[in-house]
Amino acid sequence: MAHVSIENLGKSYGATPVFANLDLDIEHGEFIALLGPSGCGKSTLLRCIAGLEQITAGDIRYDDSSIVELPPSDRGAAMVFQSYALYPHKTVRDNMGFALKIAKQPPEQIAERVEAAARILNITQLLPKRPRELSGGQRQRVAIGRAIVRDPKVFLFDEPLSNLDAELRAKMRVELSRLHRKIDATMIYVTHDQIEAMTMADRIVILHEGKIRQSGTPQEVFDRPADIFVARFIGAPAMNLFPLSRYSELGGVVGGQAQSLGAETLGIRPDELVVGGKATPSSPLVARFEVIESLGRQKLLHGETSLGDEITVSTHDGVAPETGVDLELSFEPGKVHLFDKNGNRCPDGASA
Amino acid sequence: MIPLSHAHERWILRILIAVFVFFLLAPVVWMISTSFKPPEEIFRTSPSLIPDAPTWRNYLRAFTETDILKYLGNGLIVSSLNAGLTTVLAALAAYGFAKFRFRGRKGLMLLMISAQMFPYAVLLISIYPMFQWSGLFDTRTGLVLAYLVFALPASIYILFSYMVNLPDELIEAARMDGAGEGLILRELILPLVIPGLITVFLYSFMWSWNDLLYSLTLITSEDKRTIGPGLLLTFLGEMEQDWGAAMAGSVIVSLPVVLVFSLLQRFFIQGLTAGAVK
Repeated sequence: MAHVSIENLGKSYGATPVFANLDLDIEHGEFIALLGPSGCGKSTLLRCIAGLEQITAGDIRYDDSSIVELPPSDRGAAMVFQSYALYPHKTVRDNMGFALKIAKQPPEQIAERVEAAARILNITQLLPKRPRELSGGQRQRVAIGRAIVRDPKVFLFDEPLSNLDAELRAKMRVELSRLHRKIDATMIYVTHDQIEAMTMADRIVILHEGKIRQSGTPQEVFDRPADIFVARFIGAPAMNLFPLSRYSELGGVVGGQAQSLGAETLGIRPDELVVGGKATPSSPLVARFEVIESLGRQKLLHGETSLGDEITVSTHDGVAPETGVDLELSFEPGKVHLFDKNGNRCPDGASA
Repeated sequence: MIPLSHAHERWILRILIAVFVFFLLAPVVWMISTSFKPPEEIFRTSPSLIPDAPTWRNYLRAFTETDILKYLGNGLIVSSLNAGLTTVLAALAAYGFAKFRFRGRKGLMLLMISAQMFPYAVLLISIYPMFQWSGLFDTRTGLVLAYLVFALPASIYILFSYMVNLPDELIEAARMDGAGEGLILRELILPLVIPGLITVFLYSFMWSWNDLLYSLTLITSEDKRTIGPGLLLTFLGEMEQDWGAAMAGSVIVSLPVVLVFSLLQRFFIQGLTAGAVK
């Protein structure tokens, strides 16, 4: 376990910066998810922490001592790769014990630690096998086992579940959460999948274009997104956004605060919208739906507002509205999110 | 692939293949046949493929009356040294080219491959005075070095195409595990490119085993002579030609290569086509 602090971190390839002046504090035993679209710099950040990339500015500290000068293996971090990166010609046992063997640990101790890690992950019966004999989920477990054996201060995960199918992914999410509780280690988890981040992390750090857009608990980033990017990125289906300059009636619904806060965009999540009856001239928000996706009880309604913008509504009452007709939509004023002209969340939140 | 939709097209292809195979195999068959013929049968105006009176005498003479065993030994030493050195050096260089980014990497690679473009005999013109000047002339070391010049570029390229296909994450995982570059190469890379190593070893071995020109030019002492010149100078003098013993000798020196090759050909074919289809 370690407290990881990243100060003023900069990384560029030649003249192309990946990120600059990045600050991030990760507490002892925290499970933190670095979330962002591809190319946002999250993997590079992880690789900088691991020591696989040289940083160009700033500092990374574990418990107050800088590690940037240390080679990867001396940093006390273990990494789980997206492609598992198991050594194909070695057995599971040798894969997991490789680091200890290099560190010249006595064989009995290697065996003991490998077996202890295998027990945690329920892979004892796989120890004599080679990676090619294992399924994707088993390989992933072995890769995690290889990390556990080293007893690292920090676990680094680079999109470890993205090669698994949906069902296995869901299962491994639960297992990783359980593992985190069991071994109580600091974990840094890179993903582009918001479900993984939301379900497992104590805290989510959302990166976009090399900048930290928001850092907070899953509930915080969902309830109070810091800007329009986060608002759209977190939550599925994505939040509906309406420019108040064109949807002036919506400002009226929210009340005077929208204007006083300088709000220019109003956001509302698809499941906060309620479909009413036929639209009337006084309806503040009118939409016409063309496609209805049924997910059992939940229905996703896709259509256009009366001003021609795309809109998505999610209902949970199992009733599908009529398509092709103008319908009135309503919402509670307290459920909207307001963003200023720079796309940042209006102070004191969105809601009254 | 050429679509061979019509029967006559397939027949043309078969005939072409047959002609090709004939040109490849006829000399070999003739060599074996001749090696069993007594002298009077070899020089008959209407030769037969199957000897009328097959004899082992040529083999016996090749073993007892010549230094063929010594030449075999010399050839084996030079070829093994060349093959071993080529494999080690090619593995190191290929790892560098495949997995490290450094300034001039592409240029260096290109330069190395273009060395392959020089005709074999042309380089001898410059190697000869260099060896005379440096004292490498008429030494086994010199001969091995001369073979390296030719075996190495292609070997590096073969191993490069193997190693470049190994995922970087594998190497990074080993670095995280605390392995240094030497250990990564030894414990991780080399075991994963064994077919490539075998290919390179065989390729460079055959190169030097089959060579005549370099060995004939760069080695002058009889006791260092390898098989190519050994056979030539022993049996085919200006005055007399002992074809029977020459062919028997040829069969003897071909056998080790044929044997090794047939055992390892699976790897060899794999090796040459690696990276072609992924």
